[in-house]
Amino acid sequence: MNSLPVQSAKCGMRNGRQLRNAPQPRSTSAALVFLRVLCVSVVISVFSSPAFAISGRDIFEKVHEVSVKGLDHEISMTMVLFDKNGGKRTRTLTSYSKNAAPEAYKALAVFKTPPDLKNVGFLVHARTFSNRDLWAYFPEFKRVRRIANTSQDDSFFGSDLSYDDFTGPANLDDFKFSLEREEVVDGKPCYVVEVTPKTRRKYTRYLAWVAKDLWVQVKIEYYQDRDIYRSGTFKNVRLINGIPTPFRSEMENRKTNHRTELTIDNIRYNTQFSDDLFTQRSLERAGK
Amino acid sequence: MIRSGTVDDGTRIMKSFACYVFMVLSSIVACAPIIYADDLLSMSGRLDLRSVHALQDDSVPEHPSLDGRIKVSAEGTSWRFHSWIEGGWDGSVKGPDHEHGRIMNFADLYQRSTPYLEFKELCLSYSTQALDLRAGIQRFAWGRIDEYPSNDLLNPWDYTRFPRKPLEDRKIGVPSLSASINNGDWTVETVWVPVFVPYRLPLPDERWSGTSIAATMAQIPNAEITVQEPDLPDRTFKNSTIGMRMKYLGTMEWSFNLFHGYDPKPVFKTTSLAIVPIGSSIVIDPGYVPDFHRMATAGFDASFVTGGWSLRAEASYAFHRYVNIRHELWGYPTNPGPGVYPLDPAEEIHDSIDYGIGADYRLFEDGHLTVQGQQTMTLGNVDDLYERKIESILWANLKTTFMNQKIETNMSAAFNPEHNDRMIKINGWYVVSDAWKAGATWIAFTGPEQSFFGRYARNDRIEAEVRYFW
Repeated sequence: MNSLPVQSAKCGMRNGRQLRNAPQPRSTSAALVFLRVLCVSVVISVFSSPAFAISGRDIFEKVHEVSVKGLDHEISMTMVLFDKNGGKRTRTLTSYSKNAAPEAYKALAVFKTPPDLKNVGFLVHARTFSNRDLWAYFPEFKRVRRIANTSQDDSFFGSDLSYDDFTGPANLDDFKFSLEREEVVDGKPCYVVEVTPKTRRKYTRYLAWVAKDLWVQVKIEYYQDRDIYRSGTFKNVRLINGIPTPFRSEMENRKTNHRTELTIDNIRYNTQFSDDLFTQRSLERAGK
Repeated sequence: MIRSGTVDDGTRIMKSFACYVFMVLSSIVACAPIIYADDLLSMSGRLDLRSVHALQDDSVPEHPSLDGRIKVSAEGTSWRFHSWIEGGWDGSVKGPDHEHGRIMNFADLYQRSTPYLEFKELCLSYSTQALDLRAGIQRFAWGRIDEYPSNDLLNPWDYTRFPRKPLEDRKIGVPSLSASINNGDWTVETVWVPVFVPYRLPLPDERWSGTSIAATMAQIPNAEITVQEPDLPDRTFKNSTIGMRMKYLGTMEWSFNLFHGYDPKPVFKTTSLAIVPIGSSIVIDPGYVPDFHRMATAGFDASFVTGGWSLRAEASYAFHRYVNIRHELWGYPTNPGPGVYPLDPAEEIHDSIDYGIGADYRLFEDGHLTVQGQQTMTLGNVDDLYERKIESILWANLKTTFMNQKIETNMSAAFNPEHNDRMIKINGWYVVSDAWKAGATWIAFTGPEQSFFGRYARNDRIEAEVRYFW
């Protein structure tokens, strides 16, 4: 449960990437035609866009590596929700996560405040980065409820972060990547990568600013067609156990002007939690 | 005999209630600095101020209510203490005239709730890697479907606000011992309730008694309805309740449930109708009292996710369940005058099968729909019952939030097609801050007098509510 607050990694594991052999021309004339087309294509591409030594997908694979390194963690965090009139609400929660090979990961998030959300929890068992089981627990009802995986882009408890932001890395193969340009953000040289989901999502694409030296996102903008609807920044990046970790994130809904600040209060990596922490029994006991 | 009395004479009672609350709170506060320091203790609470506007002129009125709840948990490495105390003034205009203390007990069906104090939960638990042991006043949540789960029988219900209260609030915590053994994907939970705990009922002239023979008599001018507190089963181990639940977690989660104990669903036995004029009043004993019978159930529940749907289902077979025949057959005289009229037996024994399925579906962002259908099939000859061979409840709930959950709305509709009775509840909240929210609820019922929802057809109302959380 970490992609935004901890790793800024939206995408996950290299999964079934295939190397293709060059096509073998059937005849000399066919080979000549192919070569001409190839030359023309190369000339067009050289003059129409900048050449990069790295692809968008390569960048996100590095982002993924950083993300996976941080999967074993315990994070205490504070979310402050600001509405456009200055109203403020605060939520504190703790998230626990475990790299669970051969499963992708297991995660548990439990709210501490506000009082009406106290001990409300979510449990995630990700078999792969695109196939996960979710459960929710509401103490008032004393009942664990299985939930379908269709709310991934919805607001996470009124914040401007989505459930997807709290449920670990996604599957790289579910996205297309295009490296657009390079920019400097807060003094950090970044790759700007356009990420387009292959499946229907709330956004049609997003732009991610990935810090070159750290392989974490420092800025993100979500678009619905041409319109930006959500944007965020990830600041105060510190190396914790060699893992770059943004301690302060901010996400704003550009249509409603509602924004959320997320601050990490405490973090531990390499926690190596037992599987017992990620059970329904543990969910009912608020991770205790 | 219990008569109802007005509850506005409660200065002394309120003082004693305030003393209870003060003692509980002060002891918690006194301990807090010591225990908080180690993060062992956590506390939360809620205050709820509600006013009610009844929409029918002939319905029983209700005062504004003020309810509070405090939850306290203290935890060690393997033990945990948890309590949920609730209390306040629930707005009842009438209440039983007998004294039973201000703390809700496990001995009376008819209890005053202005003011009241109730331990909904008060238990100590000890856990190891594979075992959980709990002792104390507990609430359980077995089964999978909402509102009327057929496998959830361990906690009797408080019917004094039924169906206004949600399921989790109407459950009465029971003194019990429970043990869960966990082994991988398997959990076996056993519960023993050594002391019989009865459900709670409103008096016939209270607002949520619903339409009943006694409630009808209560509308006679100068009528004073007296009801009898029933003789409870002996408090022996022989009359204890046991339950067992075996749960498997997998792609499909399922549980097998067994219950043996007293049926938590109210059923009445008839005695004699007595009509006695006393001065200017007519004192009426309607001639029936709650009756308690043991039964056994075996049930199954399951849940799984397919596509965008989260599905839940459960079924149970109840052996030897007592039910009441329809009111017309209880033997009431057509035009009774003063006197005593013996009534006919009003109970029958049937096996029954309850089954239902519910589904959760995300309709749109922050909009979730829950639909549910459940049926009760009564076996044997049902000619004398009001209920048909198969009775259904169809239920739908749409929960939506707006403005980053600053506004919450909740719309529920329930329908019983066999008798064409229904309930509609629409509720909206504005979240002012983390601590405050304010809301309004409209609730309406229609249907024949003896039907599940129709018996509350005089209870349509609008509520305004303010909640404070801490």
